[in-house]
Amino acid sequence: MTAASDAPGGYFGRALVVDVGTGAGTVLPLSDRVLRDHLGGAGLGAWLMTELGPGGVDPLAPEAPLAFTFSPLVGTPLTTSAKFAVVAKSPLTGLLTDALASSHFAISGKLTGNDAIVVRGRCERPSVLLVDGDGARMEPADEVWGWSAAETEVALSERLGAGWRIAAIGPAGERQVHYATVSHDGRHAGRGGLGAVLGAKRVKAVAVRATTKVAPADRDAVLAAARDLRTRSRGQATAKYRELGTLANLLAFNALSTLPTRNFTAATFDQAERLAAEDISELRKVARNSCASCSIGCEHIYATKDGRTARVEYENVFALGPMCGVSDPDDVLAASARCDELGIDTISAGGTIAWAMECAERGLIDAPWLRFGDGSALLRALNEIGSGIGLGPLLAVGSRRAAERVGGGSESFAPHVKGLELPGYEPRSLHAMALGLAVNARGADHNRSGAYEADLSGDLDRLDGGAAHVAAAVETEDRAAIMDSLILCKFLRGVFTEPFDEWAALLRTVTGWDVDGAELRETAERIVLLKRAYNLREGWTPADDWLPERLLSEPLQVGSGRTAELTPERLRAMIDGYYAARGLDSTGRPHPTDLSPPHGARARPGGDNSAEVRN
Amino acid sequence: MGSAKAALPWHGSTLLRRTVGVVARATAGPVVVVRAPDQQLPDLPADVVVRDDPTEGLGPMQGLSVGLHALTGRADVAFCCSTDMPFLHPAFVQRVVTALDEHDVVLPIARGHRQPLAAAYRPELAVAVDRLLAAGQLKPAFLFDECRVLRLDDDALLADESLAAADPELDSVVNVNEPADYEQALARPAPEVRVERFGVLAANGGRGPHTVRAATVAEAAEASGLSLGRHVVAAVNGDRVTHDGATPLVVGDAVTFVSADAGG
Repeated sequence: MTAASDAPGGYFGRALVVDVGTGAGTVLPLSDRVLRDHLGGAGLGAWLMTELGPGGVDPLAPEAPLAFTFSPLVGTPLTTSAKFAVVAKSPLTGLLTDALASSHFAISGKLTGNDAIVVRGRCERPSVLLVDGDGARMEPADEVWGWSAAETEVALSERLGAGWRIAAIGPAGERQVHYATVSHDGRHAGRGGLGAVLGAKRVKAVAVRATTKVAPADRDAVLAAARDLRTRSRGQATAKYRELGTLANLLAFNALSTLPTRNFTAATFDQAERLAAEDISELRKVARNSCASCSIGCEHIYATKDGRTARVEYENVFALGPMCGVSDPDDVLAASARCDELGIDTISAGGTIAWAMECAERGLIDAPWLRFGDGSALLRALNEIGSGIGLGPLLAVGSRRAAERVGGGSESFAPHVKGLELPGYEPRSLHAMALGLAVNARGADHNRSGAYEADLSGDLDRLDGGAAHVAAAVETEDRAAIMDSLILCKFLRGVFTEPFDEWAALLRTVTGWDVDGAELRETAERIVLLKRAYNLREGWTPADDWLPERLLSEPLQVGSGRTAELTPERLRAMIDGYYAARGLDSTGRPHPTDLSPPHGARARPGGDNSAEVRN
Repeated sequence: MGSAKAALPWHGSTLLRRTVGVVARATAGPVVVVRAPDQQLPDLPADVVVRDDPTEGLGPMQGLSVGLHALTGRADVAFCCSTDMPFLHPAFVQRVVTALDEHDVVLPIARGHRQPLAAAYRPELAVAVDRLLAAGQLKPAFLFDECRVLRLDDDALLADESLAAADPELDSVVNVNEPADYEQALARPAPEVRVERFGVLAANGGRGPHTVRAATVAEAAEASGLSLGRHVVAAVNGDRVTHDGATPLVVGDAVTFVSADAGG
């Protein structure tokens, strides 16, 4: 397998579309225009879902596609570029979701000779999909059904032999928990329930083996850029990730009243010190790891009380700690490790359980054992989610659907946007982020909208949302769209001073395109708009661009005594500003002319895509 | 003084910048600076409203008129002060403005003197001020004669617990009229503030909290071995995040230094 003769540098110009029910793989040619317009990763995934996903499809139906997408930079020595995206219609939100993971699966997956691997259909029995230079084939995976993703990786690696890299789901994916993950080497494509989509297809794992190479357009320039980027990646802009990891946020956010606590009833946690990276890293940290091709090394591995280990990030500690009122680090680390074993998103798990804790305390659900602050209850709830007993079936569908079932006003404090649980950023004290969370296509998410950067930059008043916050939300969403499509790790973002220009320069060396920063800005807008258009097709309504009622009706107070309040009127004004800045109509819908894909004919796997036209 | 008080240096900042920052902290509305014709002002935050005093030599009533007009319809109460009050505390401003109630003016009588330039006014008084100016009645006392004035002496001011704790000597109303006043004020130790550092800024056990003396955020950063910039920002009392080193500090403040790339 080699790159198509006319494929740009860094690409193969094709996606492999596999029907896992039959094991048949067909080739979908990807034109230069498609690749240049969507790059790879999340952008290419959005295009593939638009083209290949039947409108209105049940995300867990056989015909619902799921794509592993790679990027033009994968396989180059550019630091942090060994990443891949998993993209599908989310069972949690009913809208588009994409989630990133990283390391050797990305490199080997791309070097199967494909820019994307798309999975459709349903297996008769638990199976593993194998893709290499010989194409696709299915093998039984009955013996690992029920195992954790990590155990599955080990077992399949032994069975398949050297050179195979594996992404797998855990028991939660098999049970179609709506926020189940897909993981590789312990790193999860975590948000939106992509593991459930694979589980519904009875695909336990996807194994890839590199069998070819791909050449950049200008190898010397790529090497020079890689050396420069690697040097810059070791500077102050990434020190936080190397030294303490993202858990360093915890105490800082607590001091700034932006640490969501006890299901957003507070923004400070009086026991935050017990979970502080500054303290527990000295006592419990056992290792620091890097993804393949990464010079940052952000992964901080901690020991649990029972001798296991857990990767610790701010988000899992926030969600399983303060969000649930749990302060015992042993409980939080154990819960995090349990989420990894089950293969579930820690943010959605913590958010949904925190909602359930509040419901239990209010008497809305019959679970007297479930209380804020009780680490044992947290672990029991996770186990019930993973095993499907007790509260498990209710909590497995996420806080939005669970609240719809429970009622009693619990919808008002279900901590989600579009069905996706909120990350650890308090919208009432981070107004730019509040907007980003409300309007993003994936739902409440901090990786597709990094508007908190503006709130924490000192350039605007985080408690007084207005036009500057709108501009910041648009800008950071655009930056995320490009970083998630190139793909580069966001932990690298601080090293770029003129990001679009610098990213274009990297892309030029790899692809040979005459791309510049202005074109990448257009690409970012295109990808953001494409995601919105996909969602519109799948039933998005203006009411989906909103925040939970609690956040708009219960003001907080920051340390200075100032009120941190986000009124519906202020949020509405910012959303209107966002729609205007994006060129959307007043209801958030793209104008019809913007919805016409610039690529002409729809994609047909195995067909002739020569009908594609450039606009 | 021999030079414009507004631009007098103050712990790496200026008197005007300090005054503007303290008033902004204590009030919800915009801060208006009224400048003399052709007066050059030192650097100010971008959201400060600058208005020109059209006529020189008419004293504080002319500035009061311009300032109150600027705030009419934008605020319920205006705190009016001169620029030469280096120890003005937000608790003093809050004590005065929150006392307005049904009155038109809250006039402190602090440290034995009436303080019309550390007082609260209803913005709609601008009309009355204009009328008095037109009549050549240039002293604030004429205004007080025809409106509802609440006078607060030392005891009344210090009945407020926050103010009593923060500024028991009512140094807020100390102003610097002569070079010697200014030198004396500069010689005072900077306020004691509490500093905490988080994340990578807390390396080598430096998290704190520590107590340092600092009149500005930049001084607090320097005392903590930090330098504000692209990667280091601060929040005073957990409020908005800033990289403006000239942000004033007062006794009892807590300064949080965080990495500017806080977040995932």
